[in-house]
Amino acid sequence: MSTSSSTSLASSPLAPLVEVHQQLGALTRQLHDSLNGLGLTEKVKDWAGELPDAKSRLSYIARLTGEAAEKVLNQVDQAKAEHDGIASEARRMAGLLAQDPSAAVPRAEVLQFIQIVEQAGQKLDGHLTEIMMAQDFHDLTGQVIAKVVNLAATIEEQLVLLLIQTAPPDAAIKPPTPHEAYVPALDGPVVNAEGNPDVVTDQSQVDDLLASLGF
Amino acid sequence: MSKELRFLIVDDFSTMRRIVRNLLKESGYADADEAEDGVVALQKLRNSNFDFVVSDINMPNMNGFQLLAEIKKDDKLKHLPVLMVTAEARKEDIVMAAQQGAAGYIVKPFTKATLEDKVNHILTKAGLK
Repeated sequence: MSTSSSTSLASSPLAPLVEVHQQLGALTRQLHDSLNGLGLTEKVKDWAGELPDAKSRLSYIARLTGEAAEKVLNQVDQAKAEHDGIASEARRMAGLLAQDPSAAVPRAEVLQFIQIVEQAGQKLDGHLTEIMMAQDFHDLTGQVIAKVVNLAATIEEQLVLLLIQTAPPDAAIKPPTPHEAYVPALDGPVVNAEGNPDVVTDQSQVDDLLASLGF
Repeated sequence: MSKELRFLIVDDFSTMRRIVRNLLKESGYADADEAEDGVVALQKLRNSNFDFVVSDINMPNMNGFQLLAEIKKDDKLKHLPVLMVTAEARKEDIVMAAQQGAAGYIVKPFTKATLEDKVNHILTKAGLK
């Protein structure tokens, strides 16, 4: 560049933009050199290689917790059905005993026994409902895992792109294919709600908010 | 009789669909069907008769907000009460659901009593109970 053209560019209104562009170019070059100079290209390659493994591990956790939750729900369903049968039979027995005017003493004892069975049955049913409700962790943790898997896929893509940009001309690096994982558009479960005024932390806050809106 | 009411449970997690289905059964609402996303739900709603929709929000293909919007712009479906049961806890999501016509909003994790209360309240308000 001649001295006269440098002088004219420096006095031009575009001078600040040109300067910013030159600085960006220098920074990019510096990053490129740093990655190569520090041997980071290899490290980036390693990181990119580890991410699919991390994804498969998270998917494994999601699959296993899902299978465990389904197994528990199957057992709860069966236990509830058997409990319903016992409760129904106990009610039938109580009805039969009430119809029989003889054998007052044994009848009283059997009726007491039936009462105990019914009370225990109600408690048992409550426990089974709580066990069933506890399986909602699969939905909630599954949503969080899906978000992390999605994040890992995005980072993997970016790392591979970085690899391509910093690779020597003769290196054969396959360009990443965009991941097809489901991308939730929403936030999902709030992992840490503390100090966040934009989210609710329990149902009463939902109800209060809706009530304040006239719902 | 409220036990004859038919429910559609929409959630992409089969575990949650089973939990909601069992809870509804315990509350006396045994007639329920399931859908794994908004697209399947909409097909079922248009091809069969339902009285109540319990829907998640964060789902693939068609999320709960989109399903709610489709239901509310369909003359044959817009009368259906839609209860959102979701992990989405942002206040703006709750306000949006209410403005779009949701009949109720439950945040996960929830209790049996909460689901029962909301369903009964909505059914009473809608004159279905």
